[in-house]
This record gives sequence, structure tokens and C-alpha cells, in this order.
Amino acid sequence: MSAFRTYEVYQRARPGQPSAQFRARQLSSEDALVDPAAVLAPLRAAEPCYRDWPGNAFWVTRYDDVTSVFTDDANYETRPLAVLAEVDTHGRNLGDEVEVLRCLERTADEQGEAIARRLVAEMSADMATEVCLRFPFELLCAALAVEPAAELARWWITLPGAASWYPQVRRAGLAAFDALAAWAEPLLASRSGGEGDDLLSVMASLGARGGDVAITLLELDQATVPGVLTNVWWHLLTVPGLQDEVGADHLLVKAAVLETIRHSPPVVHADRWARREVERFGRLLPEGALVRLSAAAANRDPAVFGEPDSFDIHRRDLCQREARGQYRADGLASGISLGTGVPTKHPAVPEDRPRSRYAIARDLAVRVTSVVLDELPGLHLAPGAQPVIRSRRFGEPRMCWSLPVVR
Amino acid sequence: MAADGCPFHQVLDETLGLSATAPTARLDVPLMPLGTAFDMGRADDGAPLVDPRIFDTTEFQRNPYPYYRILRDHHPVFHDTLHNCYWVTRYDDVTAGYNDDEGFNTIPKGMSNGVLGNTQLELSGIEHRRRRNLYGRHLVGQALDKRIPIIERLAQEMIATWFDGTAPEGAVVVDEARPGRRSIELAKAFANDFPIRVVCQVLGFPDEARSQFFYWYSSMMNGLGGSETAHIGIRARQDLEDYVADLVDARRREPTYLLDDNGEPIGKDIISELCTTVVDGDLLSAEEITSNIALIVGGGGETTRGAILNMWYLLLQHPEQFDAVRADESLWGPAFHETLRHSSSIGGQPRHTSYDITVRGVTIPAGSLVNMVDFSANHDDRIFADPEHFDVFRPDLYTGKIIRSGYDRDGRRSHMAFGVGPHLCPGAWISQQEAVLGSKVLARELTRHGVAVSIDAERMPKDIDGTSLAPIGLGAIRSLWLALEPAT
Repeated sequence: MSAFRTYEVYQRARPGQPSAQFRARQLSSEDALVDPAAVLAPLRAAEPCYRDWPGNAFWVTRYDDVTSVFTDDANYETRPLAVLAEVDTHGRNLGDEVEVLRCLERTADEQGEAIARRLVAEMSADMATEVCLRFPFELLCAALAVEPAAELARWWITLPGAASWYPQVRRAGLAAFDALAAWAEPLLASRSGGEGDDLLSVMASLGARGGDVAITLLELDQATVPGVLTNVWWHLLTVPGLQDEVGADHLLVKAAVLETIRHSPPVVHADRWARREVERFGRLLPEGALVRLSAAAANRDPAVFGEPDSFDIHRRDLCQREARGQYRADGLASGISLGTGVPTKHPAVPEDRPRSRYAIARDLAVRVTSVVLDELPGLHLAPGAQPVIRSRRFGEPRMCWSLPVVR
Repeated sequence: MAADGCPFHQVLDETLGLSATAPTARLDVPLMPLGTAFDMGRADDGAPLVDPRIFDTTEFQRNPYPYYRILRDHHPVFHDTLHNCYWVTRYDDVTAGYNDDEGFNTIPKGMSNGVLGNTQLELSGIEHRRRRNLYGRHLVGQALDKRIPIIERLAQEMIATWFDGTAPEGAVVVDEARPGRRSIELAKAFANDFPIRVVCQVLGFPDEARSQFFYWYSSMMNGLGGSETAHIGIRARQDLEDYVADLVDARRREPTYLLDDNGEPIGKDIISELCTTVVDGDLLSAEEITSNIALIVGGGGETTRGAILNMWYLLLQHPEQFDAVRADESLWGPAFHETLRHSSSIGGQPRHTSYDITVRGVTIPAGSLVNMVDFSANHDDRIFADPEHFDVFRPDLYTGKIIRSGYDRDGRRSHMAFGVGPHLCPGAWISQQEAVLGSKVLARELTRHGVAVSIDAERMPKDIDGTSLAPIGLGAIRSLWLALEPAT
């Protein structure tokens, strides 16, 4: 710690400060699980970097501030889930390897639509669980070239919990991590040196062990595709006329998906840690400070998006292209989709590179939504159904966990 | 056809419990019998799990010790990812952390900063020592010894008001139906005001400021750490600053002095000292002076108040120990220390790691918040046998002169209410003098007036069974009703 540098920075709270009436407990309240944007709106207006003492975090809520942290790797560190789950020594994440990305892209492009059609055909009652949440798992099994067994599904569902604050969920997640690593080990051995282009063969060719597979799956982002799917369908099923309009013009599907990412992002906040003492947003962030970046609040920032609380697939102030690292293209802001992290690690993507995970996820959401519109036109919510978008626990994805539908 | 015909839906339901009620944001936990922890689940090896939401519950505030025991025994360095901190709960680990000023530092803009402002609590090393020494010497040694008669006389004057009808409003209730019996609310009648008056004198505050003191210290202490009442603390701090501004100007021009019992100057009072001292080539700013005054007001008022109330509450629940202490005044010191071990009014101190540090197999990254839990260290049965039991005769607690090391030659350990190491509470000695002297005087006066004292259970809050007295839990009791009756 160095001399007087920090001590002299003056930032004592003052009476009458706009956030004085804000209670930190609101940040993890039931209201925040259901509608975080509404809870955070007063902070975004009055105190763009709110000191949450009980949570020991700094909440950043304005669009430009949030994106500035995302793109500032020099000052802020991203801690992978494997680090938070304390399993980072068990292997390495291969998710950013070009071969792995290419395999995921190929599977998504070649098999995504067929899988979606099969799931839609098999759907009996609940679109959220039977299509939206199931789709990424089936796609993963296709990429791995394995049968979608129930055991594997159980591990896949519980795996992200390894980084949870909730003890039972964390315990189950860590058990799933170990089970996945053990499950993958013999498969890697059997596919090593083969000609296969499936994900396990690709990872085997990279010298992966079971722990590497488990870490790669842990970091794969389980929330964005199913979350965007359930949330876009929540809008399509609850906003009068919207489904008909989008169904009639499939070019609008992408607009609906992008507007969902903006309006109802499934990953509501992401965490960064200050690598060193930083003075930003009128505050002194000490080394190691947790900076909590709220997509829920930033995506409703009225300084960036007109009438931010309304869901409008025709809005002209939302970027329609993949924003490569800057969150803006054509001078327009994109909805922040935190689950996919910084949009791409390759600012200029050569033609022989796979698309970014952001683009793959977005395209999958568009494709599955289009399939459902094609196969099941005129879908309605089941009588009496009142689905809600919410997080089940603090920090967990905010999505619609049940969408009972009838034709 | 139902969705649960889908195999994936079934797995989802089994693993996430989708068909069950969605989990709620708050932990729904009943108030448990004292000493028993709510079951938060078990690991595969049978070890109890800890749901970090427990720290936010009323149950934890009231009945913390079984949960601390779980932490000590099974998760001695608990990584709480909900509150983004680490809880260190064993005595040896807490003291090692306090003594390692380099590895476990105090950071600027810590939990107390929002209300108190920049204080020495947030400094380390030479910066900390320079500022602490500005007023620390007023609170120890000869400067304190010379003031003991004044403190003692002050206590006598205050207690005399209980019997001459001039006690503060609402502090004394005479029971018409029971002749000779009167109920005294010890906080209003003594504990709220006594430490204030001592601190006022040492600080050099004019007497007329006393009426504001309780508001200042109770509001500021309750507003620390971004609590629900933070805005009240912030307002009180502003009020104190407004009051102190003129005082600082005056003392810079003309310092005032502390006097001993004979009217001889002992040295400058603390405010004058702060106003006239040059640190690193510069006078302290009015803001910094106010922050230090705020710290002394808070630390000197609320904690001593709590110690006095807790000590009497515990002693009166253990009449045989109370009788022993009254019979042998030298036991007031051990009683004070055992009170602070058993039920301190300060829970612990935050520290931040200067670099990655591994404790008990858990690697704490640089810059992490580490909560050193004094409450738990004081109840660590690796150090103190039967720690939940209040025992002024406890052989394993060091109760001598307060020492920075935290242990004596015989290996007995001190409680952690004052901490150990470089940040040992500078007000520890004066706090002990206030609590012990005040209690001695109080006990003597009760004897002199021929009254027996007990807890007025009718007026005290009850525990969940509706009959037992409410436990102290974390912090200090807010009020203590004493029943005074003619001794038989």
C-alpha cells in the first residue's frame, strides 16, 4: 500500500444524497429477482456507481460505464467460473480454441435446425423446458457425438451451480463437475488419434483430459441461448399481435431476438474485479474491488435507448449487427448480452475464423424461434397460465422457467 | 398431455425443483432454541453446510454462536460469494491476521468511511501510527491515571440522581403498589451518558455539546457499513461536522487543556491536540479532525455503553458471580473482560489481503475483504473452555493489564473485543476504567443505600419462549431495567 495517495481522496457520503434512501438489501430482494431494471433505475439516475456494503460490491448501471469496464481488461479482471468454483487447477478451458469454436459453429449450423424441429415435434405442453432449455443440451450432445442420456442431462443442468453462492447448488455442481471429468476421460482416450470431427475428438486432438472437458463445458455459457429463447417467446406470447407480425415476416425474428437481449437479458449482471486501485465513476475502487455490471439496468439506460422500458422490435436505436468488442456498430448501441462476454476476442475476424460465440448464440436463438413459428403457428399460452420472467436466486439467469402453450 | 412426459423436463424438475415453489430471496429460517443451529444442509461427508443468507437473518443476530461454531469447526475460512468476502472465525487465525499488518491491510474507504470519514481505522503502517499517537496517549498511562478521581466523582454524581429525584426523565420508575421498590433503566440513568461525559472531557468538548452526544454516537454507529440506517448516520455526521467547525477554528487559535483533579493542566485536550499538530509538514484538515472526533465519539460512547449494560445484564443473571464481585472489587476487572469475551459489542474488524494469502488451505486473492470475526474468536473452544458459559473466574482468559500481544507469559489469551496488534483499540484502557470504576461506584452506592438489585424481568424483552430473558446476541442490549428493593 502506498503512502497518502488514496487517503486524501474525499468521497464521504452526504445527507440528502439521492441514493440515501436506497436500501442495499433491495439489490437481492424478491423484486430484484423479478424486475432488476426497475430496482436499479433510481441508482442509474442518481448514483452511477453505487457502493453496496452488504454485498461488498460496486454496482455500475449506466450503459457507457458498463461497456467501458467490459472493454477495459487492463484495469478489470474477469474471473472464470472455474476460478469461482475453485476447480481451475483441474484443467483448462478450451472454449476459445479455434478448433473448438469451429466445431460448435459447424454443429449449430448443420444440426441446429433439425434438432429444433425434432424438439418442437416432440413438445407436449411446456415450451420453456421441452424446447428452449432442452435445445442447447441436445445440440451439445450432437457436438459431442454422444447419446443425450438423462445422467448427462443432470450433470449439464447442475454444472453451472459449481460457482454458486448457494451451498446445495454448489455441492451438486461440483459433483457434476467431477462426474463429467470422469465420464469424459475414457471417451477422450477412445477418440484420440481418430478422424472424428466431433467436440470430444477435437478436444482429444488438443491433448485434453477429463478435467479440461469439464471446465470447457462449465465455461460454455448455459444461460444465453435458452434464456433468450424463453424470454423472446414470453414476449411473443404475451404481447398482443407480436407473434403474428413476426410470423408474417421472418426478417423480424432477428429484431425480436436482439430486442429481447436488450430488454430482457437472461444474464442480468456480470462481475469484474479491479486489478489495481482505480478512480472511476466518481469513486475510488480499491484493488480487488468487485465491480458488478448490470446489463438489466444498462440496457434500459434512457441516455442510450429511447423509451427503454418498452419492448419494440422496430426500434431504430439498437444495433442490428454484431458489435465487435466495442458494443457499438453503425454508431448504435447493442443490447448487452453478458453471458457471451466481450462479443469476440478477434476484433477483425478473418473469413477462415469461426463466428464469435455471441454470433453463434444469436443465430441459434433466431433459428429456433423461426422453427417454432413455422411449425406451430398461432401458438397461445395455455388457459390460466401466467408465466413470469425471473431469476430463481440472486445471480442466476433471469428467464421464463415455464411456458405452457396450446395451439 | 403433461410436460413431465418429456425426459428432459423430468430431469430439470428433479434437479432444479421447477414444480416446487421458486426459492425466495431471503432465507426463511425460524428462530431456533439458543445454542442450536438451523439445519442448512449437509455435505457428502456429513459436514454442515452454510447458507450465507443466514448472516442476514434475525435468527443469526439473536443466536449467532452455533453458526460460528459450524464455521470454526468445518469452514474456518469461509468464502462467502454472496457477500463477496471471507469469514475467518478461529481465534488463532484472527489474531494472526491482526498481527500481520502487511498481509492483512486496512483499506481507505472502508466500511466506516461513509459515515465517519477518513480515520485511522483505514490506515496501516507508519500512517496509522502517526495519527493514532496524536491522541492515543491521552487515553492511557499517567494522563489517564490523573483523571481517575474525576471519572469516579462523575459516576457518583450521576448515581446520586437516582435517589434524589433528579434522574433523567423516564430513567427511574417508582412502583406505588410496591413500597420501597423502584425500577431503574440503566441505559438512560447511567450507561448512555456516563461514557459521553468522560469522552467529552477528554476531547475538550464544551458541556453544552453533551445533549447532542447520544444522538451523534448512536446514529453514527448504527449507520456504519451501509446499514439500513446509514442515512441517519450520515446526517448525524454532518451535524457533528457543523458543530465542530467553529470549535476547530477557535482551538487552532487558542488551544485548551485537560486538567487533573487539582486543576493542574495534564496536556492539551484531544481536539486542541488535533488542531495544532503538524503531520507530515501540514496541519490536519478540519475534515480529518472531524473524522477523528467522530471515531472517538462513536468508539468511546457506544462501545463502553454496551460493555456496561452487557456486564450488568450478565452478572445479574449469575447472582453468585455478582455477589462475589461485589464482595471483592478486584473482580470487576475480570468481570469486564469476561463480559467482552462472552458478549462484546464489537463484532470484528475488516481486513483486506495485500497479496494472495492461503489460510487453512483456502487461498484468498489479493484485495479480498476478510472479516475477522471477534465474536467467534471469543467463543473458540480451542482457546476458551465451555465458551458459551459466562464465568468471571475463568482460568483461561487473560484479564490483566491490556496488552498488545493478546497473551501473557502463561499462555492465557485475551478476548478480541479490543483486537490485538497495531490496531489494538486505543480507547481500551479508558473504556475499562469507565466500565469498572462506574460499576464499582454503582455497586457501592447500592450497598450504601441498602438496596438489593435484580433484573426487572417484567420490563425486559423476552426470548421466543415468552418467559426467558432475551439473549444479547450480536452487539449490546439497548436497555436494562434494574429492580431496586430494600435489602432484607
